[in-house]
Amino acid sequence: MIEVTDYDKTPDKQSMPAINVQNLNHWYGKLQAVKDISFEVYPGEILGFLGPNGAGKSTTIKVLTGQLALKGGSAQILGRDIGRDDPVLQSQIGVTFEEKNLYLEMTAIENLDFFASLFGVRNPGSLEALRRVGLAERAKERVSNYSKGMRQRLMVARAFINKPKVLFLDEPTDGLDPVTAAEIRKTIKEEADRGAAVLLTTHNMFEADELSNRVAFINEGEIVTLDTAENLKLKYGKRSVRVRLRDGDSVREENLPLDGEKSSARLSELAASPDLMTIHTEEATLEAIFIRLTGRGLAG
Amino acid sequence: MRKTVSHSELLLAILRKDIRVYSRNMIYLFLTVLGLVFFIAIFWLVPDTVDEEITFAISPPLATLISEGKESLQAHGVPAQLLDQFDEFETAFEEEGFVLVEFENEELLIKAVSGELEIYRTDQGRFIIYDPDGDQQAPADAGKVSLDIGMSFPSSFFSDAVLGQQSTVTVFADAAVPEEIRGAMQGLIREMAFQLAGHELPVELPDEEMIILGQDRLGDQISMRARMRPLIAFFIMMMETFALASLISNEVLQRTVTALLVTPMRIWHFLMAKTLFGTALAMGQAVIILIFVRAFTVANWPLLLVIVLLGSLLFTAVAMLVGAAGKDFIGQLMFSLLFIIPLMIPSFAVLFPGSAASWVRILPSYPIVRLLYDVTIHGSLWSDSITLIIYAVIWALVLYGAGLFVLKRKVAAL
Repeated sequence: MIEVTDYDKTPDKQSMPAINVQNLNHWYGKLQAVKDISFEVYPGEILGFLGPNGAGKSTTIKVLTGQLALKGGSAQILGRDIGRDDPVLQSQIGVTFEEKNLYLEMTAIENLDFFASLFGVRNPGSLEALRRVGLAERAKERVSNYSKGMRQRLMVARAFINKPKVLFLDEPTDGLDPVTAAEIRKTIKEEADRGAAVLLTTHNMFEADELSNRVAFINEGEIVTLDTAENLKLKYGKRSVRVRLRDGDSVREENLPLDGEKSSARLSELAASPDLMTIHTEEATLEAIFIRLTGRGLAG
Repeated sequence: MRKTVSHSELLLAILRKDIRVYSRNMIYLFLTVLGLVFFIAIFWLVPDTVDEEITFAISPPLATLISEGKESLQAHGVPAQLLDQFDEFETAFEEEGFVLVEFENEELLIKAVSGELEIYRTDQGRFIIYDPDGDQQAPADAGKVSLDIGMSFPSSFFSDAVLGQQSTVTVFADAAVPEEIRGAMQGLIREMAFQLAGHELPVELPDEEMIILGQDRLGDQISMRARMRPLIAFFIMMMETFALASLISNEVLQRTVTALLVTPMRIWHFLMAKTLFGTALAMGQAVIILIFVRAFTVANWPLLLVIVLLGSLLFTAVAMLVGAAGKDFIGQLMFSLLFIIPLMIPSFAVLFPGSAASWVRILPSYPIVRLLYDVTIHGSLWSDSITLIIYAVIWALVLYGAGLFVLKRKVAAL
């Protein structure tokens, strides 16, 4: 089970943002993929970019990591303007990609050692990195023999090999089984706890909810809303509970608003009833809020 | 612990990785090892000698022709001492490099030229006619002779020629014999008739008869093995195009290069590493081949290394173009052939001297092939080669520039 750290305690909001994006725009030809988006990510914070495929999440990461040219707006990482030709800046970042771009002919440990050498990291502790993602026992096996999940875990280990101050994780658990996905989420959380600022793109609302200190909903290149998951749920959810009671051979449900004396008394009454089966809060899911705000689901 | 990473450390890291990936890919290894073994084997298998003799069939035997000619002319009152010059014909044929395989009659000659009968030559120069359909076994200690052309003379040829009478000589030739050789044989017969008739040929030749431009290689012809020497060095460099293009293409298609470019590594590190790796790989193999075929001499080794370096750079550039364009293995192979076939043409032009048309000379690989040929066969040195070297440098740089441009654009667009 992943523990969600209180946002206000861990991320260092007193310091300069690790990622500072202002009015970022990007076009592919005439198609505007990113429209005037602004956000900050602080050290130790995980910002979840939640949106469907084609929303502009990956494009934002590609611009910030120098894979795509900055075409409009401004962005600083660790106080330095972004750009492809800044080795100092790029020695401080870690990236996972949508595609599993690993050297298949090399072993897992060789992959990590090679990338560590590009960062000038001596004694990178590649075996320990593999242990963190559960691949230590197959460290000397060629990546071509790895399953999709193992390759994804290796991608995550590679992103951490230089102990980066900023992490860009593009759909790090996409298509993985629940166990592997949970392991990767645990590792991401550990990196944030270490102090890394994490920009995480996902279209998985549970992942965003579980990992992110704040969540940005991105749709058609625009940030629709950006807040903590709790605040969003409170803002857009219903303050009510649903109570299920046994009624002879059938089941009866009652919805009670959380505000008002009448509801409070009725809730106490139902809670004491021997027929009580379950009580559920009626807070909205992130997906429901996303649909409400954008008129579309996250799966698309 | 992190330290600042230098350019040389980045380049070395990528080169080490490339060597590792290369050495673990069975296709690359197969191409490399097969290329080395195949070309060295071919070199030592092809003959190191040149057959300067022209062998053809004749009927009836020359001695029969001469004796019958003498008898007929004596009957016509020609003094015997005037006919002694006929005996010189036999030695004249030998001096001209003609080897005659003599048949008693035209029927046997036709069978020999058509392949129904096989001809063997012993170490002593004696010819054995063998019938494969007969009961005899093929001669054991004799080499088979290919007999593609033969001439059947009438027994009265000598006397007819001397007396100025028309006679008919039939030339039998295998279908594969080129028209030029048939024409040459007809010319030979006419020349014989002219000489027998006592006429001078209406051609004025200088004392030397033929002025050889350059080194006269009469009796010292360039063997097929010697001709192979520059060619296999050229081919091995060319073959590395496939392997390097595949290596580059994999980086592009698997997008590993994208992962590299979000590290302190810059795009020029990537391009420089590929240049160094490709050039070193092609050059290393070409040098190994040239050592095995004994091409290096004390005088030519620096020049030969420069030529091989330029050739390796040229093919590295081609590999960059192919690697950037290929979308899969087949596509890459097809794209490679698009470059390789035109680049191979000069090698054949040099293998068959005199066939290099002017358009062949403008192909990028021409100066490399020509230089390899001139240095390894004719012993050319710096002063003889400077123009071609400048030409080769220009082509290598032009193609390398194009390769860098295309690959850089491709990587930047990923």
